[in-house]
Amino acid sequence: MTYPPDYRPGSDEPRLNRPVPERYPQIRSTSGYADPRVVHSGPGPGAGAEQEPERSAVLSARLVVVLCVVAGQLWALNVGVDAWMQGRTGTAWWCTGFEGLSFLIALGAWWLGPRDR
Amino acid sequence: MTGPNDTTDPDGTDPAAAARAAERDAALRDRLSADSLTSRRDYLRVMTTVSGGLLVGSIAVSAGVLHRHGDAEAAEVPELRVADRLARGEAVLFNYPGEHDRAMAVKLADDSVVGYSTVCTHLACGVLWKEHRGEEGELYCPCHEGSFDIRTGAVTGGPPPRGLPKVLMAERADGSVWAVGTAYSDETARHAACRQLGAIRPGTTVPSCPHSGGK
Repeated sequence: MTYPPDYRPGSDEPRLNRPVPERYPQIRSTSGYADPRVVHSGPGPGAGAEQEPERSAVLSARLVVVLCVVAGQLWALNVGVDAWMQGRTGTAWWCTGFEGLSFLIALGAWWLGPRDR
Repeated sequence: MTGPNDTTDPDGTDPAAAARAAERDAALRDRLSADSLTSRRDYLRVMTTVSGGLLVGSIAVSAGVLHRHGDAEAAEVPELRVADRLARGEAVLFNYPGEHDRAMAVKLADDSVVGYSTVCTHLACGVLWKEHRGEEGELYCPCHEGSFDIRTGAVTGGPPPRGLPKVLMAERADGSVWAVGTAYSDETARHAACRQLGAIRPGTTVPSCPHSGGK
């Protein structure tokens, strides 16, 4: 490659011809995923990724189970109150049994995963 | 007069207090704009606790914490004379069987007398007799526009989940109107009579009752 005779690499301003680390002291050799100015973590070793995806999914699943159980309990309480008000005490107690079983399921879902309680 | 060390502005505000207020406002703004601090683990714990609370509530309901119209022991409740005479379409209010059990008796066009609790089964508002609604008139709750059939007490409209508890009425030869018993929501008068008979005389076998003294 040939250059014009008056070509000189670099800038006419000497301050712009300093080495990069001197010009940008904030940028270190590890810049890329450890640089706090990087807003979006790029592809790096574990950058921005879930470290234990299975554990996170299980936690979400447990939460969904408990929410479904509580929805069922609200329905059972509604049925139980109606039954008791209509004099059907036996049905009300069956609803209470259902509530107890549901609570045991919720308790079990909470009890699983001792690191995520 | 203001001196050189006086920190109060000419308009009377303290700069330090104003700075503190601004700091509080900024902290509040940060807190409101921050993401929710409730994690899935917290949510799981809270909902499990709610589940336990629902269990406790259900036990309380089944054990009889809620007041139920007509729950007074049948043997303890004497018949109550509620009116000397009742004209067609006329209603009378009374308390039966307990002094806090508000009830109403209505004489219909065919001279039959019906009685109901006037506590709406939705949110316990007072139920009114509306003679000109429907074909025979109806019981109407103005709070959420619930309505009940005047013959059976069953729900005909609106949000009430159950029919009105009944008061069993009797009209005697002299025209006087008496409250003689109660029935739960959606319970037949016959079933209620059998139930109360079973409470008065346990063990009595009545052929017309499905199971004497049963629930």
